[in-house]
Amino acid sequence: MLRLDRRLLQNVDWLLLGAALFIIGLSLTCLWSLNPGRGISSLVWRQVSWVGVGLLGLLVVVSVDYRNLVRTAPVLYVVGLGLLTSVFVLGRTVSGARRWIHLGPFTVQPSELFKLIFIITLAWALTSGRGERFSRGMLIGIFVLLGVPFLLVVRQPDLGTALVLVPVLAAILVGIGIRLKVLGALSLAGVAAMPLAWLVLKPYQRDRLLVYLDPFRDPLGTAYNVIQAKIAIGSGQLLGKGMGGATQSRLSFLPERHTDFIFAVFAEMWGFLGCLVLIVAYVLLVMRGFEIAAGTREMRGRILALGVTTVFAAQILINIGMVTGLLPIVGIPLPLMSYGGSSMVVSLTGLGLLLSIRMRQFH
Amino acid sequence: MALSPSPANRREAWGRRVLALAVVTAIGFVGLVGQLWYLQVLEGGRMQELSEKNRIRVRPVAAPRGILFDRNGLALVDNRPAFTLSLIPREMEDRNSVVARLAVLLKMPVGDLMEALERVPADSIRPVRVRRGLSLEDVTKVEERKLELPGVIVEVEPQRVYPTSTFAAHLLGYVREVSDEQMKQGRYRRGDMIGQSGLERLLDEYLRGRDGGERIEVDAMGRPVQVMRREEPDPGAQVVTTIDRRIQEIAEQAMAGKAGSVVVLDPRNGDVLALTSSPAFPLDRLTGNIDRDEWLRLVKDPMTPLMNRALQGQYPPGSVFKIIVAAAGLQEGSLAPMDRIYCNGEFSLGHWTFKDWKAGGHGHVDLRTAVAQSCDVYFYQAGLKVGGDTMARYAQAFGLGAPTGIDLGGERFGLVPFAAARPRGKRPWQSGDTVNMSIGQGQLLVTPLQVARMMGAVANGGILWKPRLVQRVAKADGSLAYSATSKMTERVELSPVVWAFLRNALSAVVKEGTGAAARLPGLDIAGKTGTAQTIAKSDSAKGQDHAWFASFAPADDAQAVVVVFVERGGHGGDVAAPIARKIYEALFLQKVAQVTLPEPG
Repeated sequence: MLRLDRRLLQNVDWLLLGAALFIIGLSLTCLWSLNPGRGISSLVWRQVSWVGVGLLGLLVVVSVDYRNLVRTAPVLYVVGLGLLTSVFVLGRTVSGARRWIHLGPFTVQPSELFKLIFIITLAWALTSGRGERFSRGMLIGIFVLLGVPFLLVVRQPDLGTALVLVPVLAAILVGIGIRLKVLGALSLAGVAAMPLAWLVLKPYQRDRLLVYLDPFRDPLGTAYNVIQAKIAIGSGQLLGKGMGGATQSRLSFLPERHTDFIFAVFAEMWGFLGCLVLIVAYVLLVMRGFEIAAGTREMRGRILALGVTTVFAAQILINIGMVTGLLPIVGIPLPLMSYGGSSMVVSLTGLGLLLSIRMRQFH
Repeated sequence: MALSPSPANRREAWGRRVLALAVVTAIGFVGLVGQLWYLQVLEGGRMQELSEKNRIRVRPVAAPRGILFDRNGLALVDNRPAFTLSLIPREMEDRNSVVARLAVLLKMPVGDLMEALERVPADSIRPVRVRRGLSLEDVTKVEERKLELPGVIVEVEPQRVYPTSTFAAHLLGYVREVSDEQMKQGRYRRGDMIGQSGLERLLDEYLRGRDGGERIEVDAMGRPVQVMRREEPDPGAQVVTTIDRRIQEIAEQAMAGKAGSVVVLDPRNGDVLALTSSPAFPLDRLTGNIDRDEWLRLVKDPMTPLMNRALQGQYPPGSVFKIIVAAAGLQEGSLAPMDRIYCNGEFSLGHWTFKDWKAGGHGHVDLRTAVAQSCDVYFYQAGLKVGGDTMARYAQAFGLGAPTGIDLGGERFGLVPFAAARPRGKRPWQSGDTVNMSIGQGQLLVTPLQVARMMGAVANGGILWKPRLVQRVAKADGSLAYSATSKMTERVELSPVVWAFLRNALSAVVKEGTGAAARLPGLDIAGKTGTAQTIAKSDSAKGQDHAWFASFAPADDAQAVVVVFVERGGHGGDVAAPIARKIYEALFLQKVAQVTLPEPG
């Protein structure tokens, strides 16, 4: 099935792929130092197997013309909606949220998968019209089409994923040339809706927001994570404590340290210089993504590339911003770094989408 | 570029917009790097300090040791919270100075503290217990100087508390921190409190429970900030014994100041109602911090307080053995109840002369009178008629010379000599040995518990029970971990006429004979006194003879066996019998007045 002609292979973006694999390598060393075990069940080996699955997804996406993928958007959308709904029926509750469903021995987080479906659906919706300019009606259609799954994600609640989708939509709208007036109006509407959102938020989410505004409000409750993460990062200082010396991380002061807070572990171990290296790798990845988006002539490719790139950019910025105390805490994994199968598979598949677009740019 | 202006323009516009988004993203990344610079470089030192202060303490939560109850639900031991001084090696920055300060503060030898610390790794976060049972005063001293003593903490642990220092000491046994020797078994963790003797050792697995633990986050001052994880301890199992605390107490009081043992059994099932050994050792001192000198004093004490005389003391039975001689003679037909002899106070055999305990003798005596008056001359002759080996056979049948099988460890065998089994090199068995044996002297050795079991068989018509101490062990969740039923180990087959005669004769001992001091109005006590001569010389003012009183009551429907043994106490009838009387009084006459208070909780 993998029909790749030589021309396509010549255009593989090794820089993009290399940056991603480098980051994955860093992630695995972090996980190993947190949970050094040789057994099959150790974090590292499970993560390695997820990387394998993700690379398989990447290969599949690369071998398929993304334009064909966009054509299947309605099917993907329905499947995605089905998965999101199934969470409420089959879902497993982890710390107050139903985000996961069981598939045999695995648990899958449909909201992660939905990020890609969201972008593909957007690309399909924005290009299926006759003209290239889109109308107000189309815009409303898009909001309805994407609003339903968005609300489902919010209700799980998976605020993090929902928050990522907003900048992605905004970026794509900006990219296709929405007038600034319209964008401004939408933003205003968003701000106006915030008190409403406050009512929808669960108490723990409100706490997190308040703690963001005043970290010492509750130093042992919700703010605990923020303070401990900051201490971990800060105590790494310029050069870090090395893999054995990361006491904050090892002594389990850090909660969720292998998932959402893995950056703090990394920062404690490798210090400011290590963080700089990691961030440069991320910047390379994201900027390459923007470059691919900019260099694509075809509209569906443009939207997909921009969408995937902004998903990466938004997740990286929000996650690190939150762990370093710049942003309130929301549950968002750090792409390619955090432990977690769904996130890894989706990130690598998204990467495959970028590679696929780049390979077919010059057709 | 300018092939078709419209798409090219559009492409350019798209490119510009994507560039704008890229710039916004880049600004975000610059912001992150700025924040990292702030946290790691500008604030790094302070954060490093904060991370040092973030410490986790692992605090074991000792499982409360199971309680031992008496047969009526009264506690024999209990737990109460006690203060334990512990050191956390990891937190002691300057070990030597902290130890020196602590040693001065609490007047403890530096060596002891260092020794305790050297047994564990220097970076251990588990507290090392260095002193248990800290006084409130010492606790205050430590707390006041907390800042000068990093790594020194005071823990609260449940500790054994006893009704009195020596109550049922040999029976219960003491609890003490696991020794280096015991650590080698690999079953314990350092600092574990385990039963070292008695029931505490026997039932240690049940009583110990499983320790829990908690992880606490502490600040730089060592103040707990929050409990991060807590695993509840599994309390030890509750043990219901067969002991009657009231009888045990009365027996101990009656033996106060004397050396010896009291054994009270139920002849219907072998239940041990009381088991004393005096002098006893102080349980509470052994549990706490006993120093080497005090321990050596206990071990070297000529009165051997650590020995459980009830089952480890081996003594000649004296006249108590006459019961065996009578039983053997009657059953074998070598004696008849109506045979009479004349006792003039002396018995000659060859060139040997054996004296009766009563100068001048008892005059005309039959078997019943001989038992009642404990006439030695009668039994010298009876012994010769029955024969040494036959006496030995019956002694063995009644369980003498063999362990009773009680659950407490360290039981001694005693000795029943056979003519054929004389060790080589010793002079052969002579008739004089038989004569000596017939009044329970010579090589014959028994333990008080063996005598009690034997009396039980006389009382119940021949059944030898395995003495039962533990009825059941119930886990904290209520499930039964262990239960014991009464076990018959042996049965002595004698003609019913012989049993009846023995009971009648023993009853006469108390009614009209040497055991009169045990007499209680309204209770038919059957018993036998014994005054055993000892081989070793002693300066004891009370004389050198061991006093025995072995008995049961009521004579024809026995509910209790009471055996009293007083080491170098003097005459059995004068010394041991009155003690038995006190116990019977408690068993049968005060029972009505007994009020069993329900256990709190």
